[in-house]
Amino acid sequence: MRMDGERQVSTGTPLIEFRKVDKFFNKPEEGRYQVVGDLNIQVRENEFLVLFGPGQCGKSTILNMVAGFEMPTSGEVLCQGKPIEGPGPERGMVFQNTALFPWLTVMGNVEYGPKMRGVKKEERQAKAQHYIDLVGLQGFENSFPVKLSGGMQQRVGIARAYCNEPLVMLLDEPFGHLDAQTRYLMQDELTRIWQAEKRTVIFVTNNIEEAVYLADRILVLRNCPTGVKAEYEITLPRPRNYTDPEFLRLRREIDAVVDHTL
Amino acid sequence: MAEKQKRVAFGALGIFIFLCIWYAATTFTSLGKVMPDPITVLAGFFTAFVEPIGTHSMIMHILVSLRRMLIPYFFGGVLGVLVGILMGWYKLADAILMPYIQMIRPIPPIAWIPLSIVWFGFDEGSKYFLIFLACFFTIALTTYNGVHSVDETLVRAARMLGAKDNQLFTSIVLPTTVPYIFSGLQVALGSAWATIVAAEMIRSSEGVGWIIISGQEVGNMTQIMVGIVAIALTGLLITSIMRGVESKLCAWTVRGK
Amino acid sequence: MKEKKKIQINKYFFISILSICVGIFIWWLVTDGLGIFRSNALPSPVKVFESFIKKWYETKPDGATLLEHLIASLQVALGGYVIGAVIGIPLGIFMAWNDKVDMCVRPVFDLVRTIPGVAWTSVMVTLVGIGFLSKALVIFISAMVAMVINSYSGIKQTKTVHLWVGQTFGASNWELLTKIAIPSALPMIFTGLDVALGSAWTTLVAAELLASTKGLGFMIQQARGIFRLDIVIVGMIVIAITGAVLSTIIQWLGRKMIKGGRT
Repeated sequence: MRMDGERQVSTGTPLIEFRKVDKFFNKPEEGRYQVVGDLNIQVRENEFLVLFGPGQCGKSTILNMVAGFEMPTSGEVLCQGKPIEGPGPERGMVFQNTALFPWLTVMGNVEYGPKMRGVKKEERQAKAQHYIDLVGLQGFENSFPVKLSGGMQQRVGIARAYCNEPLVMLLDEPFGHLDAQTRYLMQDELTRIWQAEKRTVIFVTNNIEEAVYLADRILVLRNCPTGVKAEYEITLPRPRNYTDPEFLRLRREIDAVVDHTL
Repeated sequence: MAEKQKRVAFGALGIFIFLCIWYAATTFTSLGKVMPDPITVLAGFFTAFVEPIGTHSMIMHILVSLRRMLIPYFFGGVLGVLVGILMGWYKLADAILMPYIQMIRPIPPIAWIPLSIVWFGFDEGSKYFLIFLACFFTIALTTYNGVHSVDETLVRAARMLGAKDNQLFTSIVLPTTVPYIFSGLQVALGSAWATIVAAEMIRSSEGVGWIIISGQEVGNMTQIMVGIVAIALTGLLITSIMRGVESKLCAWTVRGK
Repeated sequence: MKEKKKIQINKYFFISILSICVGIFIWWLVTDGLGIFRSNALPSPVKVFESFIKKWYETKPDGATLLEHLIASLQVALGGYVIGAVIGIPLGIFMAWNDKVDMCVRPVFDLVRTIPGVAWTSVMVTLVGIGFLSKALVIFISAMVAMVINSYSGIKQTKTVHLWVGQTFGASNWELLTKIAIPSALPMIFTGLDVALGSAWTTLVAAELLASTKGLGFMIQQARGIFRLDIVIVGMIVIAITGAVLSTIIQWLGRKMIKGGRT
């Protein structure tokens, strides 16, 4: 796959598609309950899509269905027109609690995907090095995750997923566990990385500013059972400014729309 | 650095105070009639390196005891890890083997001594059998727990990155299990040491346990205390080595002090 | 979904039961069935079961019934254990709370704790002779060591932030210890009680093998001497069950006494 600078958002066949998706879970105490209801989403190639909604409303489940960790109870989840049958490196995921392999160094973590596919050592380490540099962790190749800060660990997570040159990057509230300052820094970092090597991104968050700061398009989700409540296109130029009047206007508008729960 | 030096200084002070109390108790009270003072004991301990107690010098006694413990410890460890992994990964093996492990483990290894003497006689075979038992069940169980403790999220991450089932096993499950295996190995070491001392006390003709029991048979308290010093120091040596190995292998975990 | 999981659990449960039955059958087969092992090498399960029932009221061949041996063992074990707890827990707490004491006593303690309880049997027997006192002292030492270690760890693990909360309320050092450190250390103290019990029980058996005239360890040692392996196995089973029961009691007590969970 070739790396270009600025790729256009395509308007052709959607890369990822949800068609009439329902998802029910079974909890031993509560019985069957619905998490996702009649969801229809189309994710366009190269766009930065943000799924925004109140906590615990099923956003992660939607992402997990794209990742292949969960299957829809009814309806279809498609990737490039074909149903998703399980996890795979073409749909790279960055987890909220990093899920780094603690016994591997940074290099060991980032090169893990290619290693599993049998890529030769020089080739995969060169590629891993490229992504370690991209996320700004040059010099830390031989460090263990336990020695890194939260922000650095998440960067390793991003590099690890990116190293497989996925069709789509899935980020599940990746900055949720970070302190506010680091969070702002990471949002900038992510924007920089994404602009350097464009990918399709689906980003889940419950933080409204984060959503407006990062997204090309925001899908506002409703509470359980979740579905799309509203849709916003954000065309502000990057890097964006939290105090910009247009930013604030969007923020207010979205805030008014979203379900508020305690 | 200052903290560490402080610790060492206070530690040395503590040991010194302890020896002084011991010395005072044996010199100035009637305890001295039955218990030797620390100087006699330490002298006896070091003399034994040149003058044998019974048929062996101190170093030979220690080596014999260590040999008796370490050989079955090794086999018990290897087999325990294999069985633990087998049981942890395959539910069928778990269902078949676990009841036996749960039933046999509560029997203290020392309680096996009479049976092991009948089956293997008084010499090395019975001791190897005993230590093997002491190690095998503990290590198998902790390994099993380790396999079961694999973080679901890490498995997901590995699958996302393209790992297949057998790759999952070697690259995720096994490394997660290592700290558990180590903890099992440490517990088993303590148990094995206690068992070999007991076994030697019950029936043997050399070794650190024998030093104690033969001292008891002739009422030689000094010899008994020399044996205890030997046991304490050897025990300290092996646990230190164990901790050193662990800190190297498990450098990636966040372990407490 | 619920039904399927239930059936799955049952399937493995039955496999376990089957496994045990096959094991006992093989045991019977090699002893009574095919006579591969004679009863002075391996008694048959039938004989073991018979002896188990009989020994409750028969004093042959060692002079006391199973019950008498069990009670004798329990007396010594629990006696030494309780005193070990009464002294060990405060000692461990004190060592952990007071830094200077900690630094002085730790090295001595680390040396002493590597000595298995059974090694002290010779010391005690030479000092006070064979009997209740020597065994109780040996149990006391091994139980105390385990208690100290766990109480010490429990106090050391007290979260600093909890102590700070107490200090902002003006708590004295004593109150910090009794109202914050000790309650938060309770789970580890109970773990210590459990471990110490196992240690005490094992050491007791060892002590009884070496220097005793009654008790379960004595019983199996005697039985070996006259090749009554069925009694040896009965003894081993009773030792195992008693240890497990005692441990369960401690754990149950722990759950009752410790309110709330540990974060």
